[in-house]
Amino acid sequence: MKKLLKYLSPFAPDQSGAVATLFELGGLIVICDAGGCTGNVCGFDEPRWFLKRSAVFSAALRDMDAILGRDQKLVEKVVDAAQSLDTPFTALIGTPVPAVIATDFRALKRMVEKRTSRLCLPISTNGTAYYDEGASVALSELYSAFATESLPVDPTTAAILGATPLDISAPSPEKLLNAAHALGFPHVFCATMGGSLEDVRRAASSSLNLVVSPAGIATARLLQQRFGTPWRTWFPVPDLPEIAQHASVLVIHQQIAANAIRESLEQRGTEHVSVATWFRLEKELARPGDIRLSSEEQFADLANRFDVMIADRHLRHAVPAFQGTWVDVPHFAISGRLEGTP
Amino acid sequence: MAEAFSITAAELVSLGKNAIPPQLRSTEHLVYSSPATLAFNSPGAQGFGVKRAGLAVPESVMLLVAPACCGRNTSALGAESSLADRFFYLLQDEADIVTGRHLTQIPQAVQEVVASCQKRPSAVMLCITCVDALLGTDVEAVCRKASEAAGLPVVPCYMYALTREGRLPPMVSVRKSIYSLLKPTPRRKDAVNLLGYFSPLQEDCELPALLRSVGLQTVKELSRCADFAEFQEMSRANFNLVLHPEVRVAADDLHQRLGIPSIELTRVYDLEKVRHQYEALANAIGVTFKFATYYSRARDAVEAFHAACPEAVFAVGEWCNADPFELTLSLLRYGFRVSDLYGTVSTASFVYLRKIAELSPNTRIFSNLSPTMLVYHGSPDATHAIGNDAAFYNPNRPAVSWADEPQPFGFAAIEHLFRNLLALL
Repeated sequence: MKKLLKYLSPFAPDQSGAVATLFELGGLIVICDAGGCTGNVCGFDEPRWFLKRSAVFSAALRDMDAILGRDQKLVEKVVDAAQSLDTPFTALIGTPVPAVIATDFRALKRMVEKRTSRLCLPISTNGTAYYDEGASVALSELYSAFATESLPVDPTTAAILGATPLDISAPSPEKLLNAAHALGFPHVFCATMGGSLEDVRRAASSSLNLVVSPAGIATARLLQQRFGTPWRTWFPVPDLPEIAQHASVLVIHQQIAANAIRESLEQRGTEHVSVATWFRLEKELARPGDIRLSSEEQFADLANRFDVMIADRHLRHAVPAFQGTWVDVPHFAISGRLEGTP
Repeated sequence: MAEAFSITAAELVSLGKNAIPPQLRSTEHLVYSSPATLAFNSPGAQGFGVKRAGLAVPESVMLLVAPACCGRNTSALGAESSLADRFFYLLQDEADIVTGRHLTQIPQAVQEVVASCQKRPSAVMLCITCVDALLGTDVEAVCRKASEAAGLPVVPCYMYALTREGRLPPMVSVRKSIYSLLKPTPRRKDAVNLLGYFSPLQEDCELPALLRSVGLQTVKELSRCADFAEFQEMSRANFNLVLHPEVRVAADDLHQRLGIPSIELTRVYDLEKVRHQYEALANAIGVTFKFATYYSRARDAVEAFHAACPEAVFAVGEWCNADPFELTLSLLRYGFRVSDLYGTVSTASFVYLRKIAELSPNTRIFSNLSPTMLVYHGSPDATHAIGNDAAFYNPNRPAVSWADEPQPFGFAAIEHLFRNLLALL
């Protein structure tokens, strides 16, 4: 059965991607759930949660709230919290509960904005998609709302789009920033990791947007359209061992990271490198033969065709028959494991 | 916002149990998410939630039927742990959660899961979530179909967070599901079950020894059952001891189905209360317990800490193996002070709150769940913290997390708590 997981556990869901995108920006983040989703998002998918405080809340929906569609009660709770906390915006994050009862997030946005006089970002995730979908929607909503001012372009400045711990498997962006500086940009801002809402507001001043995950592409296009800012995909490649020239290699990660690893291997002489991902596969970034994975069976069939696998070691559970070399590259969205941890 | 909402014990008691301030009622506000609330929002993230609890049935496997988000934290329990080969997932997509079409796939999924296991499981625990709660799925019927298809017991585990404050909350319901697997068997006079926890009592807890000392030779705990056959022996018990209120419904069910009566004991940290409780139990079953040694050891531990730290002021949390209101009252009765209490106030809390208000009217009560806890940065008065939440708020104070998996109970619980506190000095 395609949707049956016998060896793997589910990957980070869309709601985790949305929260990860907004986590450090000071907003009132309301996960519209009964509590369990919030526990999973924060307790498992957000390593920064243990290091710094953020205004993340569960709407604490109960059965009768859902059955009777008590949107007004939810709005009252949000307004109470917004009045207590000096937050610059509100974000409403969807989960399966509002999806089942067909909550109108746009209507909630209007109600919340009217009562709080602050912008509200409606993120209608539903828990069935993966983190990149939620991150993409949240990032687009964020930049649509706050990156509105045209500013002079600073040629020494670049911005990173689409970075979350789920993508880079680190709780802080230092490595990413250092690598971006090495590209020749003395000033690099990364709003979603180590940054602030101010970094979003000054998006127009960036001379180049560096997109580190597929979740950043829609926003990069938006900013190109709005301010003319050019963008390109980019991901700092982790240290990799020597791989034989004629070995067939499969790289599994989010597409932009996997592409970067492939290019790095090819530059070092490896000839046959393919890319697969469990997440978004953007056609324009893919080569013929690149694959979007959708089941354990498909993955097992595919894996056995390669000599070398470059992927999070968690995936190995699904391919016990794989006899080749496994190069472990952690992907937090898959295993919940940070780079450099056992 | 200036500060976190709190109220003194005296103020709260004067308002009364019918007028608990909305700031202390989780249904009336957004629930703050911090490491201090993790156990509330997602008990399974650390410790036992429905998923791990369901797997307390020896040799069982679990099929979680849910959107990907509901199974996410299970990877922390899964791949690298002893539970790795016992979790399976049937993922619901967007169409499933609206139409319920996944229900027809469950029997086949159960069959595939069973076929993939190296050893045939004892049962399949079918874990379902808020989605099916809202769809109104007849899970019992689905389980019957799956059971017929796979030829082994399939029982539901309702991970319905939406019903957390309802009549049958998830952690109550899962206990009922687990013990529903016990079948009628001839009973034994010398057998007793300890019900309530998913992990064993601390090794040196006196309760099993006291029971054995009066001829109850077979003392069973779910978590100590090596296999399903041993688990089934729990149905031979003469009576059950209910050690956690969330197992009452299961105990009632066992009484109804198998005729096993139950007696409830409460985990308390007051020496005299523990003594009275054992005396009452002894009277009920017509025996005499000799617990003087255990009592003395616990009393000595309390006195040793009191002698070493007579001015101790505690911040007491709810993320620990104690009722924070009962623990606070016990600490006050031992002569300590409690400045801050982090707990979920319910009408039941007032049994303790009234006495706390008499002994320490200025003890401040906070709710971990209040949005205002975002700006709470610890107690200025506390010298010690008990509980993971209290330790989180007061990172610079010596703290006992008191939330380990082996369960403390009786005199041994008191002894260990105070020895742990003493070890901090």
